[in-house]
Amino acid sequence: MVIVKRKTLTLAERLYLPEILRGLSITFRKMFQPKVTRQYPEEPLPTNEVTRGQPRLRELTEGHLACVSCGLCEAACPAYAITIDGQETDRFIEREPERFEIDMLRCILCGFCEEACPKEAIFMSTELELAGFTRESFKYGIDKLKRSTEELAPRMEYIKRINERW
Amino acid sequence: MVDLLFYVAALVAVLTAVGVVLARNPVVSVVSLLSCFGSLAVIYLLAGFQFLAAIQILVYGGAIMVLFLFVVMLLNLGGLNPEDEDRDDPLFHDRRRSAGGLAVAVALGSASLIGILRGARHLAEPTNGLVPPEEGFDALPALAEAMFTRYSLPFEAASVLLLATTVGVMVLAKRQRSIPPAGEERS
Amino acid sequence: MNDFLIILIKTCVIYGCLIGAAALMTLAERKFSAWMQLRYGPNRVGPWGLLQPLADGVKFIFKEELCPDGANPWIFRLAPILSAVPAMLTVAVIPFAGDVNLFGVDCGNLSITDLDIGVLFLVAIGGLSVYGVILGGWASNSKYSLLGGLRASAQMISYELSLILIILCVVAMTGSLDLRAITEAQNTGNPLSWNVFSQPLAFVIFVIATFAETNRHPFDFAECEPELVAGFHTEYSSMKFALFFLGEYCAMIVMACLTTTLFLGGYSVPFWEDAPWFVELGSFCAKAGFFAFLFIWVRWTLPRFRFDQLMHLGWKVFLPLALANLLVTGAVISLA
Repeated sequence: MVIVKRKTLTLAERLYLPEILRGLSITFRKMFQPKVTRQYPEEPLPTNEVTRGQPRLRELTEGHLACVSCGLCEAACPAYAITIDGQETDRFIEREPERFEIDMLRCILCGFCEEACPKEAIFMSTELELAGFTRESFKYGIDKLKRSTEELAPRMEYIKRINERW
Repeated sequence: MVDLLFYVAALVAVLTAVGVVLARNPVVSVVSLLSCFGSLAVIYLLAGFQFLAAIQILVYGGAIMVLFLFVVMLLNLGGLNPEDEDRDDPLFHDRRRSAGGLAVAVALGSASLIGILRGARHLAEPTNGLVPPEEGFDALPALAEAMFTRYSLPFEAASVLLLATTVGVMVLAKRQRSIPPAGEERS
Repeated sequence: MNDFLIILIKTCVIYGCLIGAAALMTLAERKFSAWMQLRYGPNRVGPWGLLQPLADGVKFIFKEELCPDGANPWIFRLAPILSAVPAMLTVAVIPFAGDVNLFGVDCGNLSITDLDIGVLFLVAIGGLSVYGVILGGWASNSKYSLLGGLRASAQMISYELSLILIILCVVAMTGSLDLRAITEAQNTGNPLSWNVFSQPLAFVIFVIATFAETNRHPFDFAECEPELVAGFHTEYSSMKFALFFLGEYCAMIVMACLTTTLFLGGYSVPFWEDAPWFVELGSFCAKAGFFAFLFIWVRWTLPRFRFDQLMHLGWKVFLPLALANLLVTGAVISLA
């Protein structure tokens, strides 16, 4: 059994006022200390390669995606956010998506698509902000999802590194 | 301007006084009594009695009416309606007792009314130094002196009247049937 | 006619300043609380967030007016008015500065009126503000509001006693109920003649009682968010809610002014007896501003009392102390 011994208060403590003044002096000093608030839109959150933001598609060469529209991410997606229509192409990879659409309102940023992708075509970017006026505007097509290899390179390196561990 | 203000204040005082009696909701009664006191204070002010006006608001408006409101809210009289009046109550049947009570009430009431009227007429004499006051505050020593020396008997009689009223209210309110035993539904 | 015009202008200016100060006080409350918690506070609307009260006001106007089911609509509407009006009326007797001479026109003393019974007027009208709280709580037809209203009224009645007894000490020392006379009695150029030095205990009790009287932290049982949602104004929205807040902040400002007048020599300037009116006004504003800041400062420092502790403090500590203080004051005055 735990016995808590009550401290007998001194007269100064029972009068409250000295203690109140002590508290007031603490809050007064706090007013002049540096602020810890982040002024968000001007000072964005720091991001690094571990940041799991919104999914983006990697652009392999000029104007072409790395995606071969295999549909693995579509199948892996627990929120059914991804819709892919594939088509044939003359390029070496033979298939590419005609339509690659992610409904950002459904996406839960879980990163399963990134894990499922065999072609290093889809990655979780560091982009976090999402806002719009209509539901339609949240259905991102290829034009909105396409990012250059350089932009996604840190994340690619990171994924490769952690995959080597298994 | 002063006349107009007086008529407005007097009209409000009378209307709200009627409202006190007629309102079904006790809280509305209290609020109209409060505005009645407020307009009385305005009338005092117009007559030059700043002190009386302030005391009227301070004591009646600020202290006593808050107590009234408190009691009314705590007792939750909102649901009481006249059909619930219990006619089996001995107070309604014992004619002799109720007649006696009525007689005492009328006697005390009329005595105080006569006292007030006579006192007012007496005080209105300029030689008695209360009306008309040049400065509202300067009349205060005269008022205090009159109240605590010459008119101390009517002053005390008025407080006895108030006490009698309080006791009467207690007797009426403490009727047994209005408080059903705890845990038992009222039939 | 000229006098009437001057009074009209004075009234407009003082009330404009009061409402402006109340609006700024809401901003100051948020700013200071933020700084004490190492935050910035509102800084988006206008420079340093100065237009935030305006934005809040516009937002309040556009909010929907709600009247709860089963509430008494007239009393429900009356309550915010009864809360705001007395608080704003009391500023009429506060003396802000001495004789004002503006552009060669003698405008008289800087206060709306110098009543002979200024203190009584202030106490009487200030006492009415409890109706706003209690009626608002009752008319809302909500258990939280009712509890908040009951608590607030019990608290205000309890602390009004000590408050008035303390005011009586000062009145007895000056021998006048006129706030300007009380100020002038302290305006000797020597700060030691301020009442705070002759009545230190009264000063402490008075300041603490003003906190209870204005329902501010650490005695804000009328609101008491964790227990009562928001107390008496839980069911209020839109401008009615804003009126409650206006009343609360006006009451705080008036109480700060009253503390200044009664204990810190009002508009008197230390070591300068016949200061020009704008120096006096500056002195008054600095002192009253400190007490207004103290309201905010204490709110963001102390935890809330328990209700029984509050009643204990009011009836068993402050009331006897205030009575004893009055007794000693009276004895000293009659012996001296």
